[in-house]
Amino acid sequence: MEILVPVWPAAETARPPKTRPRLLAGATIALVDDNLDIPFTTRLEALLGERHGAKVERLVKPSGTAPSPRDLIDGAAGAHAAIVGIGL
Amino acid sequence: MNLVSESLSLDDYEQAVELFFERGWTDGLPVVLPTRKRVEALIAHVGRDPQESLGPVPPKGGQATVEKLAINAVMGGCRPEHFPVALAAMEAMMDPTHNLNGVSQTTHMCVSLIIVNGPIARDLGFNSRDGVFGNGYRANAAVGRAVRLALWNLGGAVPWDTDKSTLSHPGEYAFCIAEEEEDNPWQPLHVERGCDPGSDAVTVFACEGPHSVFCYGTPEEMLHVLADSMCSLGNNNMHVMGQTLVTLNPLNAEEFAKRGWSKQDVRLYLWEHARRPLSDVRACGVVHEQFRKMERDAGRYPLRYDVDNPTTRLPVTQAPEDIHIVVAGGRSYFAAVLPGWGGFGGFAVTRPVRRPGI
Repeated sequence: MEILVPVWPAAETARPPKTRPRLLAGATIALVDDNLDIPFTTRLEALLGERHGAKVERLVKPSGTAPSPRDLIDGAAGAHAAIVGIGL
Repeated sequence: MNLVSESLSLDDYEQAVELFFERGWTDGLPVVLPTRKRVEALIAHVGRDPQESLGPVPPKGGQATVEKLAINAVMGGCRPEHFPVALAAMEAMMDPTHNLNGVSQTTHMCVSLIIVNGPIARDLGFNSRDGVFGNGYRANAAVGRAVRLALWNLGGAVPWDTDKSTLSHPGEYAFCIAEEEEDNPWQPLHVERGCDPGSDAVTVFACEGPHSVFCYGTPEEMLHVLADSMCSLGNNNMHVMGQTLVTLNPLNAEEFAKRGWSKQDVRLYLWEHARRPLSDVRACGVVHEQFRKMERDAGRYPLRYDVDNPTTRLPVTQAPEDIHIVVAGGRSYFAAVLPGWGGFGGFAVTRPVRRPGI
């Protein structure tokens, strides 16, 4: 008998991660704001910039429980590193 | 019929059933084998292009093509006539309003309930009466499981992977009921939500399992018990609102109607009375407080946080319309409340069932 496979074919392997920046100072860090705990994210943004000298690009998700829009992902991809995700 | 799925040629039935476990293609139960003949029968019944896609199924994004959905529907036990209901349920779940991505991955234990309305429920033998949330009815079980298997195989919503539910929910196998429309004095759910009377539709809503409510007496007595059950401090609604579901049995609904209560009267009463004083809610602790704070900071639900009087009674939802009411079950004295995920999503979405030839 011929049985049909129920899963979608596996996607291509994601591109390899970038090399980690050795220092936060001077690095561009994309901070993905899940729009859940805004004071926490604001505090983190300040610490990264003021204490560690990182250039922070804060990208706000419309919803913390839905995927990031494509343009937000593309924006984060331009940074040296990205901070993503608060789970609920 | 032009199907593009990879296929396997297997002669041994037992080997084929076991293969689905080995490959991780089933939910823990054996499946009906999706032979080409069975799958083609489902697709032929709906008359849709096998490669038409409802979109990527979150979280992992496998395409919900008619072909792939038919394969999973066969596995779940669907006959061809069940397939339009499963398709409509998938369409509803994939509406962004429902936030399937979040529902599938949250640590909360909600699962998307499918509620079937219209003549198709009776025609196909969906249960809407005694034991409605339970077992024993192929239509409920097969459509419910078809959708769950699609989320499993196309969305990758698997408990050791992306499904982070802390305790999960028996409805992960199948969670599908029909509303009782004949023994029901009120307008059915789908008509309330904009569908034509006599049409077929499904509504999905992500919720906990049914919590039993001993619901007997005068309307005010029944509502007193229901309201208390709805605003338990353990449910998400009491902290971050969202939507909630009340299931009244046909006898409950009849008792209300005989005394002149419309469904909207019941809804408004529940919204006014399913409340807890702010002091109770605050006593849940700092984490609960933080959730409410997050909602306020994000600009949602200002009502909930802009009150300082500890005696203020906070409603379980932002508005009465966020309380869904369905009539189902046996004629008895038990009703049920099914709290939702809260303000994060899982909201009710209704879609028509496209039944061939109608």
